[in-house]
Amino acid sequence: MKSSRIITASVLLAGIAMGYSCKPATTETVVQGDAASKVYVAPGQYDEFYNFLSGGFNGQVSVVGLPSGRTIKIIPVFSVNPESGWGYSEETKPMLNTSFGFVPWDDSHHPELSQTNGEVDGKYLFINANNTPRIARINLKTFRTEEIIEIPNSAGNHSSPFLTENTEYVVAGTRFSVPMGDNRDVAIDTYKENFRGTVSFLSCNPTSGRLNIAFQIKTPGVNFDLAHAGKGPSHGWMFFSCYNTEQANTLLEVNASQRDKDFIMAVNWKKAEEYLAAGKGVKEPAKYAHNVYNDTTHTATSTMESEVTTLDPKDCPDMLYFIPCPKSPHGCDVDPTGEYIVGSGKLAALIPVFSYTKIMKAITDKAFDGDFDGIPIIKYDAALYGEVQKPGLGPLHTEFDANGNAYTSMFVSSEVVKWNIKDLKVLDRVPTYYSIGHLCVPGGDSKKPFGKYLIAYNKITKDRYLPTGPELCQSAQLYDISGDKMQLLLDFPTIGEPHYAQACPADLIRDNSVKFFKIGENKHKYFTNGEKETKVVREGNQVHVYMTCIRSHFTPDNIEGIRMGDEVYFHITNLEQDWDVPHGFAIKHDDNAELLIMPGETQTLKWIPDYVGVVPFYCTDFCSALHQEMQGYARVSPANSTVPLSWHTGVTQPAAPAAK
Amino acid sequence: MMRPAAGAKVNAMSGLNRLIAFLSVIGIIAAIYYPIWRIELAAPQYPEGLYLTIWADKLAGDVNIINGLNHYIGMATLHADEFVEFTVLPYILWGYAIFGVVTALLNRKKLFYTYFWSFLLFAVVAMIDFWRWEYNYGHNLDPLAPIQVPGMAYQPPLIGYKQLLNFGAYSIPDKGGWSLFASGILLMLGVVYEWLKARKTKIKTMVNPAGLGKAAACVMLLVTVGCKTGPTQIRFGKDVCDHCKMVIMDKKYGGEIITKKGKCFRFDDAKCLVEFSKTAAVGSNNIEAIYLLDYYGNGNLLCSDSLFLMTSTDLHGPMGGSVAAFKDKAALDKAIGELKGTSMSMDELMK
Repeated sequence: MKSSRIITASVLLAGIAMGYSCKPATTETVVQGDAASKVYVAPGQYDEFYNFLSGGFNGQVSVVGLPSGRTIKIIPVFSVNPESGWGYSEETKPMLNTSFGFVPWDDSHHPELSQTNGEVDGKYLFINANNTPRIARINLKTFRTEEIIEIPNSAGNHSSPFLTENTEYVVAGTRFSVPMGDNRDVAIDTYKENFRGTVSFLSCNPTSGRLNIAFQIKTPGVNFDLAHAGKGPSHGWMFFSCYNTEQANTLLEVNASQRDKDFIMAVNWKKAEEYLAAGKGVKEPAKYAHNVYNDTTHTATSTMESEVTTLDPKDCPDMLYFIPCPKSPHGCDVDPTGEYIVGSGKLAALIPVFSYTKIMKAITDKAFDGDFDGIPIIKYDAALYGEVQKPGLGPLHTEFDANGNAYTSMFVSSEVVKWNIKDLKVLDRVPTYYSIGHLCVPGGDSKKPFGKYLIAYNKITKDRYLPTGPELCQSAQLYDISGDKMQLLLDFPTIGEPHYAQACPADLIRDNSVKFFKIGENKHKYFTNGEKETKVVREGNQVHVYMTCIRSHFTPDNIEGIRMGDEVYFHITNLEQDWDVPHGFAIKHDDNAELLIMPGETQTLKWIPDYVGVVPFYCTDFCSALHQEMQGYARVSPANSTVPLSWHTGVTQPAAPAAK
Repeated sequence: MMRPAAGAKVNAMSGLNRLIAFLSVIGIIAAIYYPIWRIELAAPQYPEGLYLTIWADKLAGDVNIINGLNHYIGMATLHADEFVEFTVLPYILWGYAIFGVVTALLNRKKLFYTYFWSFLLFAVVAMIDFWRWEYNYGHNLDPLAPIQVPGMAYQPPLIGYKQLLNFGAYSIPDKGGWSLFASGILLMLGVVYEWLKARKTKIKTMVNPAGLGKAAACVMLLVTVGCKTGPTQIRFGKDVCDHCKMVIMDKKYGGEIITKKGKCFRFDDAKCLVEFSKTAAVGSNNIEAIYLLDYYGNGNLLCSDSLFLMTSTDLHGPMGGSVAAFKDKAALDKAIGELKGTSMSMDELMK
């Protein structure tokens, strides 16, 4: 019948139409028209923000300009970098020294910019090493790693390096609990009895930036995830998120997800300082490396420390408290006013927001719900301000803008959710591509967020960029948060796996950026102050070459008298005093890396000659029109040779042919 | 009509000019404590720019960087202690300052005029000296320099803009220079004012003719000596042939080409000169003058329109040339007799 055919056809058509219109929005529908102009930084112009990203499993820090998303630097921190000689030159090898020996790699997760009065000051960037527990401090005048300090009594350093509002302390927290002290060889399933944790507070010197472990607090055996300091009224407290309060030692995927609530551990560090002053601190033997790089001697020194001061909560009541938090919390974030503490339980379907005022009242009123290993557990409702209902799935991390709003990343539902702190209402949500981990709002964990942008750092990339085989870079998205609704502006790839990042206005850093090192201030042990002072000196089987480089030659560039069995040290001073004129140095078929020497710097490459003959060396960094001519030769004679040590540049040219 | 009394009032300066004299002293002292001149360099890879400032007693600015860059093209490295000017200039300036103070105090018109004319003289001499230094700096290049652009010279501009390879060079007065210039203008206005006043009262002692004449003569002499576009003396053992790049040793065979722009190319043999004149570096319609060394002249250069040429198989120039030049017919005949040669014309030579 005609009508039935019409009906079938219409139903079919309707079905097809619905099918198409019901498809979820793709990126094309999400990006608005003027996004391109908002992220385009014209040639000759500069980005507005420096964005410092952790490298994750690459152990470095990368620097990205915002809003263009361009990577402008990779700062070597915990991993060796053959490109610059980091970890290969004699001066930088000590930086990677630990109590377990020289460690060439690590896993760096969380960068933190130093703060003064709760505002980002652009002086230092701190970052943690997860695998061999350490904290590094990077100087933002030179973008160099200046200090690395190891954390003893720690099994992995994850809840680190979060800092107090004046950078009085930078904290570390063990990721894994392990048996400590003398009795370490125990059965693994005795976790509950024998495994313990520590959190460490490192003081930071206000003028030099130097770190020192002020004290360690012994904690019950749980896993520590993240931390944030109180600010304003809550300055004096540090909050650590913990999971695995089930204290499982196997199949944590299931066994550490059983309890409905884990904890946020609140540490009253002002109280800890009082206990230290009262003599409650116990100096325990501990072996850990403290490595410092000096910009005038251009050399790192590694010192092995031998003891650390510890505090035991059993002797220090009122120092630690547990606040119940659903469910395996990851993020533990304090809003700019310092009143609200947001826990993000990665398996929870809601976001709890705690009130500092209520926590203090609960402590005074002793509104406790028992204890965990002797530490009081505050009643959940006594500490809670409220819960954000149905925000999304898998909240991980929250940052804030200057307008009372919070932004939480949702790993499982792959989105960012904007909500108001006061009324706990969800205001907006945007998808991320894909599965966001942490997010970053410039200054978003300080008292004065800069706002304007939000960057999502994702764990899964898939189809975001052109395919590059099975191993893909990580993806990040840039959002404009200056209006009521978040607006996607840009999608850009990142280096390594950024777990977290921090950002600040370019003006805080750019004018202090060092262009070159003043040669008059060079105090390196093997500094050569000009070509007239170059020499080659033999000390037993060590040969020290005091060399200089300037466009476009090395002095000396002809060296004779080296023998098989020698250890040759090329100490090279770059005499340039101009902007962007580094020189490189490499030796033919050497099994070491190269050097990159900045103007005014001295760096040393150690060479063990393994070949009798004449070995070329050359500049590897394109420095001038005659860069290709910037080379030299080293003559290696047999071990018993009597060829005398000699060196020169520019002597003995054959005489010009006589004129007819 | 009352004749103005001779003596103090007639010979006195106007009050205005005493003031001007004092002000000019301030201007001169400023040139001792502020840089007098600056040369700014711009290139694509130097967005931050480079500069050189010239003070009364030193060089400042990016001297080391400029020296480092210039060594590629063979320019001399700048060292303040090689310049006698930096030792002498502060004393000269202080001298003028004292002169200015004395002029203002003693209140004599004659002194004022002498002060002005000698100040002007100093300015002219200084600029000439600067030009000559710039000429040497840009032309006396190291023959072993890695980068050699045939025919190229790197004389910085005296004042204004000039492109030198990839660098744009700006040569301009700096604060001290401007204050000297201002002082000069003030003094000139003062002199004009006195002159006009003198005309009104018919006093003839406005300008010291003898002094003016002496000053003018000095200036003229220096101008002619410094600005001659004629041939420059070849420095044997130092200058390098612009064609074959060999040091010019022999005083009998070489020559010079002067281009219309005033550039001077030197050669150790007439053969090199002829070959070079045909290259793009010069171009035959770009030649202003040609000079050849006088065979018997011990280094003296002869202009091509007033010399006599001889070719002979007995002549052996440094590059295998067989041509020499002579200053007059008598010399040519003598040579033809001694060396069994034949005369030739410039046209034949340059073909």
